[in-house]
Amino acid sequence: MITCGLDLGAGSTKGVLLEDGRRIVATALAPTRGHAVDAGRTVLELLAEEANLFPGDIEYLCTTGGARYAFPDRHLQVSDITASARGAVFLRPGVRHVVDIGSQSSRAMSVSETGRVLRFKMNEKCAAGAGRFVDRCAKYLQVPLDEMAPKALASTKPKIISSVCAVLAETEIINNVAEDVPLPDILMGVFLSLAQRAYVLMRNVGIQPDVALVGGLVRSEAMVRALERTVGAPIVADPQAPHAAAIGAAVLGHSRLQKLSQRPTPLAAAEV
Amino acid sequence: MTLVAGVDIGSTTAKCALIEDGKVVGRSLNPVGVELVKDAERALALALSDSGRERRDVRAVTGTGYGRFKVTFGQFTVTEIGCHAKGAHFLFPATRVVLDIGGQDTKAIKVDANGVVIDFAMNDKCAAGTGRFLDVCAGALGYDVSEIGPLSLGARRPVKVTNTCTVFAESEVSSYVARGKDPKDILAGLYGSIVSRSLSLLQRVGVEPEVTFTGGVSRNEGMVRTLRARLGLPVNVSPLSQFVGAIGAALYGLERLEAVPA
Repeated sequence: MITCGLDLGAGSTKGVLLEDGRRIVATALAPTRGHAVDAGRTVLELLAEEANLFPGDIEYLCTTGGARYAFPDRHLQVSDITASARGAVFLRPGVRHVVDIGSQSSRAMSVSETGRVLRFKMNEKCAAGAGRFVDRCAKYLQVPLDEMAPKALASTKPKIISSVCAVLAETEIINNVAEDVPLPDILMGVFLSLAQRAYVLMRNVGIQPDVALVGGLVRSEAMVRALERTVGAPIVADPQAPHAAAIGAAVLGHSRLQKLSQRPTPLAAAEV
Repeated sequence: MTLVAGVDIGSTTAKCALIEDGKVVGRSLNPVGVELVKDAERALALALSDSGRERRDVRAVTGTGYGRFKVTFGQFTVTEIGCHAKGAHFLFPATRVVLDIGGQDTKAIKVDANGVVIDFAMNDKCAAGTGRFLDVCAGALGYDVSEIGPLSLGARRPVKVTNTCTVFAESEVSSYVARGKDPKDILAGLYGSIVSRSLSLLQRVGVEPEVTFTGGVSRNEGMVRTLRARLGLPVNVSPLSQFVGAIGAALYGLERLEAVPA
């Protein structure tokens, strides 16, 4: 039984295929570029190709992310908070706190051992603390995104950014460049600044080990180190954590499908 | 016959005003870089050449603005809040509320009949509602911020800019452009958003006539019209509205000289 989780995010669209609710058989990612539905279709094709299936072999499709209602060919949609919590616990069962830094919003959740959300806090009002801030820094510091983390890790005296606002922080960073602050210290300052914003949300919810970081930035070792330093605790960074919400959606899709097969009712698109 | 100078080092531009016998006799405006001390020196030098006076004629130099401590050659420093109050009172003596929208912050200042600060509210935490917001969003429309002033005139259906955050508003503007919205309507929407932020600051200090609008954003005609319409009150805008902080600083220096006779 193949279920698909599709995470239609602001920055990128992620998908996974799950077999029998247990085994991940394919993962895929495409940039959203403002066209969530197109990106979703692309991801579905990539998934089918990777798993050597026809798109029709997908029995159940559950969407999540900001554009979850926009994707027409879905059976179910779940909120990104529900999905990334469930995905994080699926990947690492010991996780009790999940911090998800997305491109346009970030959230912290405390979760039960079954991956249910107990409490959460979210920032979606402002770019401070969202992944977009890193993209912008990469652009105006002219450091390719994937080189940011290795460069930042060479920092010896990170330059902390005092502005909370992502736009005012840019000015501050430009001044730091002019004052010859070494690039690694500036870059590490960017990650520490993000970590501080995330920590505010995390503390609000209450931090309990194990703590997992999910979302695209988990690929950046500098981000993980910055968060560990700020929180003062080890951070679980699973290689598949960028897909956590898509995985959670697929898991939730699978349990819905099982319930439906036990008790035949018409397929209804409903929020979980 | 006392010539005094005020140098206002803002986040975006350096302004200098020279005052003699109750008149502004020279001024300068130039963008700031990273060497603020040099920018401050240049501001004074340019204002001197504008007035045809010599450095030795200047009795006192007063620094203000966020870079006021970089006016290292001055005698006094004052916060820009006091300077905007004093400068606005000098230009429009009946001023009771000053709205100053600069490059990186926005302030609403309540003043008494003598131009002394009674209360103020400010946003310096976030670029929303500041000149920087306008700068970034003008860029998303493909304009320089200096050319957008009159472009919103004739807007028929202003868009609603729903995002407060500058970064998200920039994307919102891009998506309006992509959907083929009239730039006039987008700009009118942006002005509406900034004015809403300003009104909440103004309400914190209490709106009372006369209202004087200062700072770089007050040079934008569309902004001035939007503010007048939303406030339902006349709003004073001097041709020297960008120099109000520098004028206030110069006047402050003059007071200090008079208080302490040489």
